[in-house]
Amino acid sequence: MSSTSGSATADKPKSEDSSVPQRPSEALSKDECLELFRLLYLARYFDVRLIKEKKRGRLRGTLYSSHNQEAVLVGSLFGLQANDWISPIHRDMPAFFLKDIRAGWRNPERKGMSIEEVCCQVWGKVGSPGRARDNWSHIGKRDAKIIHSTSMLAGTIPVAAGVVLADKLNGGNSVVLTFNGEGSTAQGIFHEAINFAAVHKLPVITIVENNQWAYGTPTELEYSLPDFARRADGYGIPGLIADGQDVFDVYDKVMQAVEYARAGNGPSIVECKTFRAYGHGDHDDDRAVRYREPDQVEKGRERDPIAVCRKKLIEKGYLKGEAAKKFFAEGKNAAEVTDEDFPPEVVEYLKEGIEFALKSPVPDEAEGAMWVFKENA
Amino acid sequence: MSATVTEAPIALKKNYLSALKEALFEEMAGNADMICMGEDIGLLGGAFGVTEGLQKEFGAHRVMDMPISEAAIIGASVGAALNGKTVMAEMQFIDFISCGFDQIVNMMATYHYRTAGEVNLPIVVRGPAGAYGGGALYHSQMNEAWFCHSPGLKVVCPSTPYDAKGMMKAALRDGNPVLFYEIKELYRKREIEEELPVDDYIVPLGKAAIRREGKDVTFVSYGQNVYHCLEAATQLAEEGITAEVIDIRSLVPLDEETIVNSIAKTNRVVVVNEAPMTCGFAGELVARISDSAFEYLDAPPVRVTRMDTPVPWAKPLETYVLPSVDKIVTAAKRVVKF
Ligand SMILES: Cc1ncc(C[n+]2csc(CCOP(=O)(O)OP(=O)(O)O)c2C)c(N)n1
Ligand SMILES: [Mg+2]
Repeated sequence: MSSTSGSATADKPKSEDSSVPQRPSEALSKDECLELFRLLYLARYFDVRLIKEKKRGRLRGTLYSSHNQEAVLVGSLFGLQANDWISPIHRDMPAFFLKDIRAGWRNPERKGMSIEEVCCQVWGKVGSPGRARDNWSHIGKRDAKIIHSTSMLAGTIPVAAGVVLADKLNGGNSVVLTFNGEGSTAQGIFHEAINFAAVHKLPVITIVENNQWAYGTPTELEYSLPDFARRADGYGIPGLIADGQDVFDVYDKVMQAVEYARAGNGPSIVECKTFRAYGHGDHDDDRAVRYREPDQVEKGRERDPIAVCRKKLIEKGYLKGEAAKKFFAEGKNAAEVTDEDFPPEVVEYLKEGIEFALKSPVPDEAEGAMWVFKENA
Repeated sequence: MSATVTEAPIALKKNYLSALKEALFEEMAGNADMICMGEDIGLLGGAFGVTEGLQKEFGAHRVMDMPISEAAIIGASVGAALNGKTVMAEMQFIDFISCGFDQIVNMMATYHYRTAGEVNLPIVVRGPAGAYGGGALYHSQMNEAWFCHSPGLKVVCPSTPYDAKGMMKAALRDGNPVLFYEIKELYRKREIEEELPVDDYIVPLGKAAIRREGKDVTFVSYGQNVYHCLEAATQLAEEGITAEVIDIRSLVPLDEETIVNSIAKTNRVVVVNEAPMTCGFAGELVARISDSAFEYLDAPPVRVTRMDTPVPWAKPLETYVLPSVDKIVTAAKRVVKF
């Protein structure tokens, strides 16, 4: 049997372009490394605040926490160019404001959503890019190159392939990252879309956030592979494995896939191994303790991404003395953590977003009947 | 809603969800060839808890946690039924049934027909459906019309605990594929809890129920809208208009007789349905009424449905596009004054 990609489980794409460095993160500056750390706090704080707001009964809908999985989002988004596309799903709320955040948290030109837009969405206000027509993560924004998600798991992968196909036809060289839970990979469309992208060498990078549970179903009942990344073998594309708790490792693996795709070699799958901290959604927190063994949860949460990053920054000498001991958010649940556990600019950023959302109006009822069709004058 | 008050302790009253659960437990116990397939139905006991305890009782070989593939769940149900099993297939939300669409309409629905009756498929595809709960576009759908349009499928939608249990049992014993629309907003609704018979019973598919008698206008609906119709009827009664409320319960097969008999008495009809208007089941009901009850009508039949939109999330928008008690009252007055 000929094998185009060789053992695709190897940690790097077998690219003709062997210039792709193994550890792109080694080229990151001290400031960039510290920024990654800050972004982990930002993603965590967003989650924590929403959990608290939800518990107080101030939010409608279901909250799918990304607690303990932040390194997957931060690490995979950090190296993208402004014109690259992303397609987040239910557990990826922070991705909407993390996209292109290197251009400046408050830069109105950046190709991502502002924290105000994201908060308006969560609070169901008209200032949301989707004008609160659908809930939570079911938003997107074409100008920001964020594909609009739906509930239908894996449903945006073919869309993502179409998006980069169009860019390619226009002479562009953008790539797209699609985010998916490991359970969602059982959908037929997951296969159909990746197969298409592989055949046409489209720059579609499938991030599999393997948090080891799909709602109440463990991975062994979802697929029969020890490492999901090996599914890539069947498409003849690279399958990479990242330590989902380590923002630098996620960055490295995703950047390898990105550069491979940008060089015209086509898609990859990047499996990020992580662990779901709470229930599937906040409605499931109480039930999850019944189907997950406490020691499994404890073990899965042992390596908080903030702690892993802190350790690396200390090793690199970027965090020293008092600075290395500040802001201990790691290992704490939403209920245990306080604002003092986070950098003040993180707390401030979200505060501004929430205040804006609270002042925003809800959409007018008549919008319910609008935009079924484009009106032609 | 048919509960009669007795001396029996309150504890015997069952909600809609427990009624379904009882039906599944009893049928699994009574039919060693029955299996259940779905996402998170075993270990977790289902997203809403309809199958809670079922795997413990009957084992993981009969209550299977499936990978997230509606197409595989439905296709495998067809295969198992082809080979002698009775299958309950759960859709975690009925909205996701679209991912199994081809297996339903081209594989399951046509099997009996294309095998000239050699094969029949005892399968119930069930799942939580319906709007009004803020579920937005993908957790609110009533997409039953897609399947009414596919010959070979029975389509039902109970609105009471008594019917939920009796129709689930009937569906599991029917021998044909049945799409079973459960109304999630009714799962735990206290006001509709009722005592259920201790003895085995079924509610035959294809029989409508008259929920309230009246002589001025007939309301025809199913699911949650039955309760909206009942409330509208109460309000109209204060103005001297009496409405008869029919809960069709079963769309395919449809009990036309009960509808026609009612219209023969009231001469006016309002059809209420939370699905979008165009090509929805309300349109089918109006067409049947025109065929079979035209000579009784003193006013054109009227539909109160969702606007032709998805179900939006923000509350004012959701309310705006869906049928409501007010909209039903207004429609009733219009046909009465016609
Ligand atoms: C087609 C489809 N089927 C079922 C669901 C219901 N559902 C929502 S999330 C989920 C579990 C997803 O698990 P996974 O893909 O591992 O993502 P995670 O929630 O763990 O991040 C399920 C079954 C859905 N949204 N879409
Ligand atoms: Mg998962």
